[in-house]
Amino acid sequence: MRVLPALLVALALVACGGGERAAPDASPRSETTLLVSAAANLADVLPPLLDAFQERTGIRVHVNYGNTAQLAAQIERGAPADLFLAADRRHVESLANKGLVLPETVRVYARGKLVLWARADSGLALTSLAELASSRVGRIAIANPDQAPYGAAARQALQRLGLWDALQPKIVIAENIQQAFQYARSGNADVAFTALSLVVGESGKRLEVPPELYDPIDQALAVVKGTRREAEARRLADFLVGPEAAAVWQRYGYDLPALASR
Amino acid sequence: MLSALVVSLKVVGVATLAIAVLGTLLALLLARARFPGRTVLELLLTLPLVLPPTVVGFFLLYVLGRGSPVRDWLGLDLLFTWQGAAVAASAVGLPLMLQSARAAIAAVDPVLEDAARTLGRSEPEVLLRVTLPLAHRGILAGLFLGSARALGEFGATLMVAGNIPGRTRTLPMVVYDAALNGDLALAAQTSLLLSGIAFLALFLTRRLEQPRHR
Repeated sequence: MRVLPALLVALALVACGGGERAAPDASPRSETTLLVSAAANLADVLPPLLDAFQERTGIRVHVNYGNTAQLAAQIERGAPADLFLAADRRHVESLANKGLVLPETVRVYARGKLVLWARADSGLALTSLAELASSRVGRIAIANPDQAPYGAAARQALQRLGLWDALQPKIVIAENIQQAFQYARSGNADVAFTALSLVVGESGKRLEVPPELYDPIDQALAVVKGTRREAEARRLADFLVGPEAAAVWQRYGYDLPALASR
Repeated sequence: MLSALVVSLKVVGVATLAIAVLGTLLALLLARARFPGRTVLELLLTLPLVLPPTVVGFFLLYVLGRGSPVRDWLGLDLLFTWQGAAVAASAVGLPLMLQSARAAIAAVDPVLEDAARTLGRSEPEVLLRVTLPLAHRGILAGLFLGSARALGEFGATLMVAGNIPGRTRTLPMVVYDAALNGDLALAAQTSLLLSGIAFLALFLTRRLEQPRHR
């Protein structure tokens, strides 16, 4: 049986060749391509914004979507992201304190809105959060309140209404707001607390949770320190908080902190 | 899905080569050599088989990231690249290769190797003409299993390479994103594709392990 040694030698040769080829491939980006690490809840709103940005500046943008804590950990280990769009402020501020993002670039770019959502055929009126206590509501999906900003906001709202403890037996915890929404959309939960941005294009019933019931869900951005494309990253950051982007953010269900405070 | 298929194929291709070369060398070392710390080395290399992939990914972030020898001394910046994904895929595929290849090499009768030596063959010749050919079924079976596992890698890859469409988004990530976003048709198609490939790999492994049942 002489096939195996020959095969292994061939594999070794190709592997060496592969290694050499890998080096130039490792950074296929030209100087005018940015890499953004963005919270997964931006997957709908970001593409139109980035298309508009590219049209205006010629700068292409690749996006790495993920969970905010994981994206922050990657930046801490030196992952080559140029701009960080988080789902909260905490992780961005923590990176700024560690000197890993440029502190003067930290800005709130959008404010999330918490909604309660149910399928159109659910038979619920969804006119008030008090309806959650009724026997028509079996399961309530929320994102993990210890990790996900919208989960924390949902818990806070229910606590302020004095419903949190009583509703415990009905609450199912999802990993994130997308999953919480899928629980309700698939009918496995009767209602879900999720982000307005996730359900703007959906049929079904929704109730916006009054903003005074929870602390603002501010999403912050920052330019990563040490990027070779700092000027372009700053341009993108300016664009995302600028007037042209504002209409897009609002269309996708976000509030703008600048408008909200006026 | 097409761009993710391309990324997955590149990742699995490189990972398969790495698993084949590293796996065979390490399996030889573990099966034939006696040295202090052998068991510890074997267990460390097997850990990715049982650890949550996120833990493997977390370790790899440190091995490949800021402050690591790989990045600061060798100048290899693998985070957020498909090559980084290949490293993660290799790490989780290697233990399967090792288990099978080590057992196969250990099962080769040393008498046959000694016979070759008494006939004047050098050690490399004994290895290439006797040991590896006799163990080839176990080695190839391990390679198929390891590659199949590399194709399915998700958690560690997400940590190390990110989820960048067209660059590091692999087929398993397409399934994850599609399921989260309610695109069940895409999730189902991609899952079926992955299942088909995995079934084929298992089938080939089975045939190698049970040659008489052809």
